[in-house]
Amino acid sequence: MASLLRRGTGGGDVVVGVLASIGAVALVSVVIGVLDQWAPVLGLGSLYVFAVLPIAIGWGLAYALPVAVASMLVFNWLFLPPTHTFHLREGENWLVLVLYLVVAVVTSELAARARRRARYAEQREREAALLAAVASSLLGGGAVTDELDGIATRAAAVLGVAHAWIALGDEVTTLPGAAGFPLRVDGRNVGTLSTPPPGPADGAVVRRFLPALASLLAVAIDREQLEREVLEAEALRRSDAIKTNVLRAVSHDLRSPLTAIAAAAGGLDSPGLQLDESDRSALVDTIVVETARLDRMVRDLLDLSRLEAGAADPLRELWSVDEIVGAALDQLQDEGGTVVDVPADLPPVMVDAGHAHRILVNLLENAHRHAGADGHVRIVATPRGETVVIRVSDDGPGIPEADVEAVFQPFWRSAAGGLTGLGLAIARGFAEENGGSLSADATEGGATLVLTLPATPPAASPP
Amino acid sequence: MVDDEPQILRALTTNLRGAGYEVATAASVAEALAEAAMRPPDAVILDLLLPDGNGTDVCRELRRWSDVPVIVLSAVGDETEKVAALDAGADDYVTKPFGIDELLARLRASLRRATHATEPVVRLGDLVVDLEKRLVLVRGEPVQLTPHEYEMLALFARNVGKLLTHPTILREVWGPGYGDESHYLHVYISQLRRKIEAEPTRPRYLLTEPGAGYRLVEPS
Repeated sequence: MASLLRRGTGGGDVVVGVLASIGAVALVSVVIGVLDQWAPVLGLGSLYVFAVLPIAIGWGLAYALPVAVASMLVFNWLFLPPTHTFHLREGENWLVLVLYLVVAVVTSELAARARRRARYAEQREREAALLAAVASSLLGGGAVTDELDGIATRAAAVLGVAHAWIALGDEVTTLPGAAGFPLRVDGRNVGTLSTPPPGPADGAVVRRFLPALASLLAVAIDREQLEREVLEAEALRRSDAIKTNVLRAVSHDLRSPLTAIAAAAGGLDSPGLQLDESDRSALVDTIVVETARLDRMVRDLLDLSRLEAGAADPLRELWSVDEIVGAALDQLQDEGGTVVDVPADLPPVMVDAGHAHRILVNLLENAHRHAGADGHVRIVATPRGETVVIRVSDDGPGIPEADVEAVFQPFWRSAAGGLTGLGLAIARGFAEENGGSLSADATEGGATLVLTLPATPPAASPP
Repeated sequence: MVDDEPQILRALTTNLRGAGYEVATAASVAEALAEAAMRPPDAVILDLLLPDGNGTDVCRELRRWSDVPVIVLSAVGDETEKVAALDAGADDYVTKPFGIDELLARLRASLRRATHATEPVVRLGDLVVDLEKRLVLVRGEPVQLTPHEYEMLALFARNVGKLLTHPTILREVWGPGYGDESHYLHVYISQLRRKIEAEPTRPRYLLTEPGAGYRLVEPS
């Protein structure tokens, strides 16, 4: 009975309500029939209140009134003489029946009213609880879209419908075959709440609850929008700052070889200067060296922009580490200045040969630059799991712990004045493009750059 | 000659020697100051960006004990640093990449200013500034200048060919409390130009160095 009482007044409830009404009248009639042997029957009529009252509480006056009338008729038919007729032998019994009816109606109305109040209070409480929960989850930093399903489920409970869906957006987007309710606040459409037709039975709830939900959602959406804008502005500002740095550094770095070339060419071209043969060949040499440097810088810039645009497109094949290291030493015209330790039994690496070549050339150039004229550079390769680790170390000033990531930024400038240029940034870009990695070790007495390259072909991935 | 780029150092040194100068080189702030202290040079050519500091530091340090002319090598993007170096006492600058003839011309002008004390009467084309009689003649005609205009022109006349920065001019003419009011200066300069230039919009004597200052020159 308790579970029946809690049920709302939906379509299927009519049958249940009628059955419950009939059952209640029948039950009380049976009880009166039993008690009839010990008590005057007229007094027992008031027991029908126990049929009317639960029905009034559970289903309201619409059910309680018929139950009251039916109880009166059944009582008359079954118990008041002459029984099995609706006639009454004694006139005053009519008065009793009428009084009984009045009592039943008043009681049931009072009960129904209390029930309505309780239900209304419960409803308001549910709405308030939901709004509070929504507010704390949205304003506590949760993403609106992540919370939407949870909010919809709770809103369905508040609205007394089986399901609800919330779609955000200015346009009212109702799912096909569903009842849609715009979530409006200050003339702005925040989104749409859809429920299975015909929608919530209680219009007052919709009018009261949806605007509150809408304004909460609006606040959360606005806050998210603002946060996004702040983040975007910050990202833009940062990338702008990096671009400015790169531009400054590039214009500075390009100008150095240009200045040397202009000065050397200007000197060769100047009839007023007294230059002997060795002066002239020194100036020509400057032009040759600095032209090559300019060319390398332009190529580095192109590589970096290709890497940043994700257009490096590695052509990965199996290569022996011997061959890649050998080619890099060859390009640097290294004749024993670098200690090489590449074991013969290393597995081949799966890389783009051109990219691997650039990585190693840049790492070795960087190591030699920091080791200085009398410094030592080592290149050591070891297998590790399904990768080969190549360590390039020098005995220069080393990299401070705090800077092991920063050295990979284009044109990063250390506190000590060291300039990395683009070499390490490009080396890392190519390493990652080939499924490997490049990091720096903060070790005492020199820097070590650790290159990891994949040694086995990557498992074929489904298309 | 101070630069940390070995190839620039080599090319410029070769050219300067070819032009008849003796050249000592330095590649850092420390080396430059040590070299200048041990063998005081007649002029310093100074790169702004050095591994252990910048050219402005060298300028400021040098100026504590030396009036040696300093020419700064600057690059686009180093404008603030360039102006700082000029304020710290550098005499002139050239912007990278520069022609070797331009550098040699600036060097000659700086050396000339350093070795010749200013004559009491400065003659530049049709412009005569008599610093003793406080008299200014344009094409032989005396010109009426306000006291500030005259002080400014006299400052330029004592530093013919030298780039004077806005703060320097403001400090020298208006006093030590001034230095940031460059908009006053633009107005005074244009008034001065109206009095001494034939065509104030195309000045021949008083030239603007954008973003740095002004320079009084012999008209070409």
